[in-house]
Amino acid sequence: MRRALIFVMFALASLGCDGPARYADPTRTFADAGARDGETFPVTLHVPRSTTAIEGTVLDPHGEPVEVRCVTCHAVLQPPPALPVSAQSIGGPHAGLRFEHGDNACASCHNPAHFDRLRLATGESIAMTDAFRLCGQCHGPQRRDWEHGAHGGMNGHWDLHRGPRVRNHCIDCHDPHAPRFPRFMPMPPPRDVAHGAPHGAPHGASHE
Amino acid sequence: MSDDPRPTRRVALKVLGASLGAGAFARALAPLQQIEKYTSPAEFLQKHYRELSRDELHAVLRRLEGETKNRYGREVTIRDIRPTEGVQFAYALNLSVCIGCRRCVEACHVENNHDRASHQSYIRVLEMEQGSLDMERGRTDYDHAVPAPGHFYMPVQCQQCQNPPCTKVCPVEATWQEADGIVVVDYNWCIGCRYCEAACPYHARRFNWRAPEIPADEINPQQSYLSNRIRPQGVVEKCTFCLHRTREGRLPACLEACPTGARVFGNVADPDSEIRWVLEHKRIFVLKEELGTMPRFFYFFDV
Amino acid sequence: MGDRNGAAGHRLTYPGFLLRVLDRATDGTWRFYTWMFVLTAIALVGMNAWAQQVARGMALTGMSDHVSWGLYIANFTFAVGLAAGGVMMVIPAYLFHDRDMHDVVIVGELLAIAAIVMALGFVVVDLGRPDRAWHLVPGIGKFHWPISMLTWDVVVLNGYFALNLHVVGYLIYTRYLGRRPDPRWYLPFVFVSIVWAFSIHTVTAFLYAGLGGRPFWNNALLAPRFLASAFVTGPAFIVLTLQLVQRFTRFRVPAGAIDLLVSILRIASLVNLFMLAAELFTDFYTGGHHAAAARYLWFGLHGHRELVPWIWSALALNVGAAVVFLTPALRAHRAVLNGALVATFAGVWIEKGMGLIIPGFIPSTLHELVPYTPTLAEWKVTAGVWALGLMVFTVALKVALQAMTGEMRAPDAPPLDEAEEAPSHEGSSHAEVR
Repeated sequence: MRRALIFVMFALASLGCDGPARYADPTRTFADAGARDGETFPVTLHVPRSTTAIEGTVLDPHGEPVEVRCVTCHAVLQPPPALPVSAQSIGGPHAGLRFEHGDNACASCHNPAHFDRLRLATGESIAMTDAFRLCGQCHGPQRRDWEHGAHGGMNGHWDLHRGPRVRNHCIDCHDPHAPRFPRFMPMPPPRDVAHGAPHGAPHGASHE
Repeated sequence: MSDDPRPTRRVALKVLGASLGAGAFARALAPLQQIEKYTSPAEFLQKHYRELSRDELHAVLRRLEGETKNRYGREVTIRDIRPTEGVQFAYALNLSVCIGCRRCVEACHVENNHDRASHQSYIRVLEMEQGSLDMERGRTDYDHAVPAPGHFYMPVQCQQCQNPPCTKVCPVEATWQEADGIVVVDYNWCIGCRYCEAACPYHARRFNWRAPEIPADEINPQQSYLSNRIRPQGVVEKCTFCLHRTREGRLPACLEACPTGARVFGNVADPDSEIRWVLEHKRIFVLKEELGTMPRFFYFFDV
Repeated sequence: MGDRNGAAGHRLTYPGFLLRVLDRATDGTWRFYTWMFVLTAIALVGMNAWAQQVARGMALTGMSDHVSWGLYIANFTFAVGLAAGGVMMVIPAYLFHDRDMHDVVIVGELLAIAAIVMALGFVVVDLGRPDRAWHLVPGIGKFHWPISMLTWDVVVLNGYFALNLHVVGYLIYTRYLGRRPDPRWYLPFVFVSIVWAFSIHTVTAFLYAGLGGRPFWNNALLAPRFLASAFVTGPAFIVLTLQLVQRFTRFRVPAGAIDLLVSILRIASLVNLFMLAAELFTDFYTGGHHAAAARYLWFGLHGHRELVPWIWSALALNVGAAVVFLTPALRAHRAVLNGALVATFAGVWIEKGMGLIIPGFIPSTLHELVPYTPTLAEWKVTAGVWALGLMVFTVALKVALQAMTGEMRAPDAPPLDEAEEAPSHEGSSHAEVR
């Protein structure tokens, strides 16, 4: 156990500056690394920070929104008779939530009895960080590919005999409420391609 | 000459003409004096990489580090990293999830110490039309939010062919295939004829049309002789699957940069590897299979 | 005569011969000096441009990673063709014992030498690292023979250069000594050089034809077509040269030689046009991807038409010249004939220079369309190499013809008549002595 923890720390360190804002503590060893013998480095799983909290409206001294944990409200509020079934019918702190994930309702995934936990179709209550089990209920091929390293990004080592690996979690890339990967601007196009302009404009400037 | 009444004067004029000519010749070739900027007697006489003894190679690496320090103002480490026995590299790319964001292109640019001015990279991403694998309909200069509707994206880099047309044509054996399948270039042996660039069917090779320009603080100091050390002017270079990383068990820079996990890399000789699983379970294809190049770079679609 | 000199004798006479060659090569009329001065000036401009290219990088050229060969390699290909074309004088002279051709065959061999100098020059200026050219030297470097076609090209070009240098040098030297050349010392080399001439252009074609990734070149017709066009440019250049020789030197050019060369041109230009038609048919009737480069060349692709005017000019020049060669009434006029010779020379220069090399790269292997335009630096270097080739040709021709006419003879050489009257079968000339 102690050794595994050291490996996890190692994985963190090896990541260095690879986007600290996006990833937080890799808290657990990847479930499917079990097949490897004891001599290999572990494959760890990234879990984003805010799985059991939402951003509140209050700003901290740095101008960042203060996070409010689910249980802060849901422990004291009387649970509604039934969870809302669509984004439109949600009010309060969750108003305006972008919800684009098929015909799911809140309770399809969230556990109405424990607001910081999820609930599988079987009724089993699972931790937020185990979301991949929940996702995999519908997205079987993706889960299969992910387990075999063919879906989802990773960092570290291809050779686990020589170093650890950190795998992305489903929710690293997919917002569960709107899982389609967002569109964004790509990095700039190559400069030597000249559908029109002469090639190498940047280096043309400094010679002749 | 016997019919020339003034032979001595004629000879004198010829000598004068020849001297003027020689002077003009020296003048015309004067720019060559600048080449000491990028070459040295030691570099000139350096042997082929595969003929260097351990000590000679060591000396070469130290010399190259010194040259980098002098020309680019940065302390770097240049190592010689050899293939591992039992390792055969292969790469697969999932065209269903690639979104064409060019993060891999950028990561390659930074990792491999490419020329900043030309924004060089070993990877080009083609924006393809849905429903066609016709590269003629693809383009690499797209500059809009991705993924664009009706399109898919196909990054192309060195395919590390098992039957590489590029190494065959090299007249001086400056490029060859290593035991782990990586095709490398000895940048200090290449004569810059660019025959390999003409031979490559995948536009994988690049020529250093000028000495690369990189600010000292942007240089990746972890370098290797056969991969990402700063290339000299006038030689050909190419993707090496980041052998300075991958030969030490790490993942290539382009894979780590991929935000969608479209890239799968590993040792295809290991039956438990991820790459092997992809090759065995996905419908894979290679580019320009009809040319018989046998790439180690595979493409696949989900579904 | 016979063996008046042993090896020791040659050791004494050869330096004298070389001195005499140097003297003759640098002696001439104001016309000669002007011509050489202009060529030297152009060559120096070219050398300066090349030196800058070596020092500052090949970014000074218009080439890119998409079009990685350009004007230099285009001219290299053309120069190899010119060198191979000289063989069209050697074949009639030595295989068919054509008397008239025999008298002027040395012009063809000298053209081969000068053209090889140019071809090698164009390869050198195309190298990114000419300082490492020694890597190509077998034994010292790492010569990737027989796998790389480029090493074959190095072998055949240098071999052809050596063969012709030997044959021409031997003939001039014996003329200088006033002796009859010994067939054993040059005839075998002549016959080897005939086969070799075909090999240099075939190997050069294989250089391109062997690249599976470039459909425009990956074509079995490339080598035959190279030869056909070589047999157009070589004789065309020689016919023009012979007229200049007739006009400016004491050498008398037999009329039969020019007639025979024009007959060869007639056939070669037709064969060349026929092969072009065969290629165009295959490309355009089939269509598809393999025709993309041909479409770019002939009609333009995706709005890019850089080569279109050039290739149509080339076609017009070649067809026009063929019409002249085939029409007795037209070719009877020297001016018209000469116009046609210049036209077809230029036509082939476009067609198998830029017209062959550039479409190999456009569209690129990823079907990108990056156009190429040579820069001023490239034109300077190219002109410089041409000037160098013409200088070699002029000087060599001057020395050779003076040996043939007897203007350049060893002090103790027997009177010219003696050599002239000898019932020589090979190597004699109808030089007019003044």
